[in-house]
Amino acid sequence: MFQKTLYARPQHRSFRAALAGLMRNPLVTNKKSRLGLIILLPILALAAIAPILPIQAPLETNLFASLEKPSIFHPFGTDKMGRDIFSRTLAGIKVSLIVGLSVAAIALGMGLLLGTLAGFFGGLIDRVVMTVVDIFLAFPSLLLAIGLVAILGTGLIPVILAISLADVPRFIRLQRSLVLSLRTRAFIDAARTVQASQFWMVTRHIVPNTLAPMLVAASIAAANAILIEASLSFLGLGIMPPEPSLGNVIRDGQLYLEHAWWISTLPGVVILLIAVSLHFLSDGVRELLDPRSRK
Amino acid sequence: MTIQQSIDTPLLDVRDMTTEFRTEAGTVAAVNGVSFQIGQGERVAVVGESGSGKSAMAMSLLKLLALPGEVTGGQVLLDGRDLAKLSERQLNKVRGRLVGTIFQDPMSSLDPVMRVSEQMIAPIRRHLGMSAAQARAEAVLWLDKVGIPDPEGRIDAYPFEMSGGMRQRVMIAMALSCRPNLVVADEPTTALDVTIQAQIVEVLKTLTAESGAAMLFITHDLGLVARFAHKVAVMYAGRIVEFGPVSEIFRDARHPYSQSLLRTIPSKTALEGGRLPQIPGLPPDMKHAPDGCAFRARCAAAEDRCASERPALTSRGPDHAAACWRPAGLGEAEKQDPGVHQPRRNDQGPGSRVVVEIHNLEKQFVTPSLFSRTPRQLVRAINGVSLRVHQRETLGIVGESGCGKSTLARILLGIDTPTRGEIFIDGTPQMIFQDPFSSFNPKMRVSTIIAEPLIVKDWGDAAARAERVRWLISKVGLGPEYLERYPSELSGGQRQRVAVARALALEPSVVVADEPTSALDVSVRAQIINLLRDLQDELGISFVFISHDLLTVRYMSDRIAVMYLGEVVEYGPADLVFEHPVHPYTRALIDAVPVPDPAVEANRSAVPISGELPSPLDIPAGCAFATRCPMATDRCRTEKPQLRKHSRLREAACHYAD
Repeated sequence: MFQKTLYARPQHRSFRAALAGLMRNPLVTNKKSRLGLIILLPILALAAIAPILPIQAPLETNLFASLEKPSIFHPFGTDKMGRDIFSRTLAGIKVSLIVGLSVAAIALGMGLLLGTLAGFFGGLIDRVVMTVVDIFLAFPSLLLAIGLVAILGTGLIPVILAISLADVPRFIRLQRSLVLSLRTRAFIDAARTVQASQFWMVTRHIVPNTLAPMLVAASIAAANAILIEASLSFLGLGIMPPEPSLGNVIRDGQLYLEHAWWISTLPGVVILLIAVSLHFLSDGVRELLDPRSRK
Repeated sequence: MTIQQSIDTPLLDVRDMTTEFRTEAGTVAAVNGVSFQIGQGERVAVVGESGSGKSAMAMSLLKLLALPGEVTGGQVLLDGRDLAKLSERQLNKVRGRLVGTIFQDPMSSLDPVMRVSEQMIAPIRRHLGMSAAQARAEAVLWLDKVGIPDPEGRIDAYPFEMSGGMRQRVMIAMALSCRPNLVVADEPTTALDVTIQAQIVEVLKTLTAESGAAMLFITHDLGLVARFAHKVAVMYAGRIVEFGPVSEIFRDARHPYSQSLLRTIPSKTALEGGRLPQIPGLPPDMKHAPDGCAFRARCAAAEDRCASERPALTSRGPDHAAACWRPAGLGEAEKQDPGVHQPRRNDQGPGSRVVVEIHNLEKQFVTPSLFSRTPRQLVRAINGVSLRVHQRETLGIVGESGCGKSTLARILLGIDTPTRGEIFIDGTPQMIFQDPFSSFNPKMRVSTIIAEPLIVKDWGDAAARAERVRWLISKVGLGPEYLERYPSELSGGQRQRVAVARALALEPSVVVADEPTSALDVSVRAQIINLLRDLQDELGISFVFISHDLLTVRYMSDRIAVMYLGEVVEYGPADLVFEHPVHPYTRALIDAVPVPDPAVEANRSAVPISGELPSPLDIPAGCAFATRCPMATDRCRTEKPQLRKHSRLREAACHYAD
């Protein structure tokens, strides 16, 4: 805000310059993140345009076309009730991404807030927050999510809340450790010598310098959340049929694995691709943010 | 090869060595055709600023460079054998056995999870073929030689159980234990206090002389060179620009860079005159190595020819060579920095108004103990300090690390609170930090960094702040284009200028500078010191100048306080304290500082102060210095001397201050 009032920089770029700028974007020039983007973006695009694609609606059944092999009309084949797996998979991707992004956002937000409070102010807040965090961290996140779903119920919102709650403790830990190491840096001392408020130090010095590693953690958490949601739905604890999700589509197919391998396998491959691409992306981001790897 | 050369074969003969770093931004020739020779038992110092390629050169000798560095050309002949052609396996036999290495940071070159004995014995057994028991006895012998007390017991210690000085001694023992012909030491004392540095240098000097090993010694400290070296190689931008015997280089340097470098040292003549001579500009960016002579942009005597043709290293007498088109380098006229003999602009000397008054200050830290059984330990960082700073005065605070000088600074600035005692400050204090790399938020632009104190204090509106920020940056000698940059885009010297600008933003009455120049290169150091003095004269600020660089402190300060273990042991006018120290600790400190003059160094007593700073957990009952003091008596060990008036202007805390 201050910079805007002090030094407004000119902003006039042609479309071509913008495109050239985009191609020079570090996320594009870095090999790992580029690979991630190359896999992820088409999947996202397909999921986004699914409603206007000439394919059967995800919930539409057709008992005359039960358990059909993959074909031009049904790229991923059909299930027992003649539903189009491709269409269900695209709908499932949408669910997966909503879960992944929501969990990443919630975990990031809560982690930033509680981790900063614990790390910067220490004392009682620190002890209370960290005790709760340690208790949460004693459980594997999938088990914790299962337990929380049992309490919160099934469906999209409870699933998101359950996975976030299971992830938040790790974010708090990370943010707290980042804050602790920043707190001893000389620029905090410099702010202290002019009696800067704690709000100023936290918002201007601490949080901006923790964002980068926290974002890397968030992108990994998104991939993780997608896998956990799929696992929950597979176990019948997440998104309830007939509403499609990658996990329950796989579950639908497991009875027919011998006769109709495509029902479970192809959505499984999609999960794999999404998770792998997100990991590539976060690896690339980590490389870009690590000053040691910068030339 | 002529007959004469083959009779007198040098131990190490480096010919046209080139080392390149292949980075994405392009290939950087860190070492660019370096040739020199080291005779048997000769100590050669390599001096140069950071980025001059001196470390890369030393590492290249044994191919110890990490990727992406690679030796791409030239020969390294050790006793006639070309090391550049050896395989990794053959080189491993040379490393440690024929050539020993000592690095700057002993903590990172010793394995933290191995006992010293394990790290020392294995190479001795491998290289000298001794049995385990023999090798252990040999290791103990060497630890004893480098001055480790109780070597039999200490040999089984882990590196973290030792102090920095002790670890460096272990490194030296390791490097010498296989009786190498050549020892390569890369800034071996830079991380240590002056007193410890003096001890280490003495150990290195005697032990290499005793074993007849030659030595390649890399440093940026010209005083150390004078104390230590037989010959000097001056490096600039990846090349040796001057090479010669130490006495000749100091008396009659021929390359403009060496000449300028020698002038930047705060010497006695500079003390009487006004400003410190400085080398303008910055070293060249090695990614875009300039044509012609790399130094020409900063050279007062540069000619047209220097821009197009690069001068080769040519003879300036026996064993002396320089790479400059002009036989004598800078002429008499160019040697005079136009600023030097300008008297200080507005030097009125200290005023009478007291700006800072510290009264009986004490600061104790309690070390938290994990188990309630062990008693909480009390670290007495500051132990009853009383000081005054007048307007326009510079108070220098010197002492070894751990003496409490930085804690004192933090208390002055209100970052820490004192346990006991009082501080009165007229006006606001500000700080210039030691490490220009961590003192700025990397996510902020320079404009915001300088404006931060103004924003925090609600100073004026946005336009007035922008105006003030522009004024401040011009005051520290940087153009307004720097305001848009991030700290990572600035050099060390530029960062320190920004730090000064930030410190001046709120018109402070006193600026505390904690080691403001110790992270900077020699040529840039003088620029910052001149800047600080100019600003003091112009704005009438007081300084508290904390440093372990005694020459700089002396140049900067009006009065000096010498601290030892949280106490002031001597206080008085800078010249008096330096010329006629009263307290034995002050004397020891001054003696430990190497003077950049080989003639002076040759005549000095070679007995540095012994021992190390006692732990502040366990301060001796009597005089804190008694454990290391050469003149300590029983009275010193039982009765604590108080700081009292010694003469009209001076105070000292010693029973025997005459």
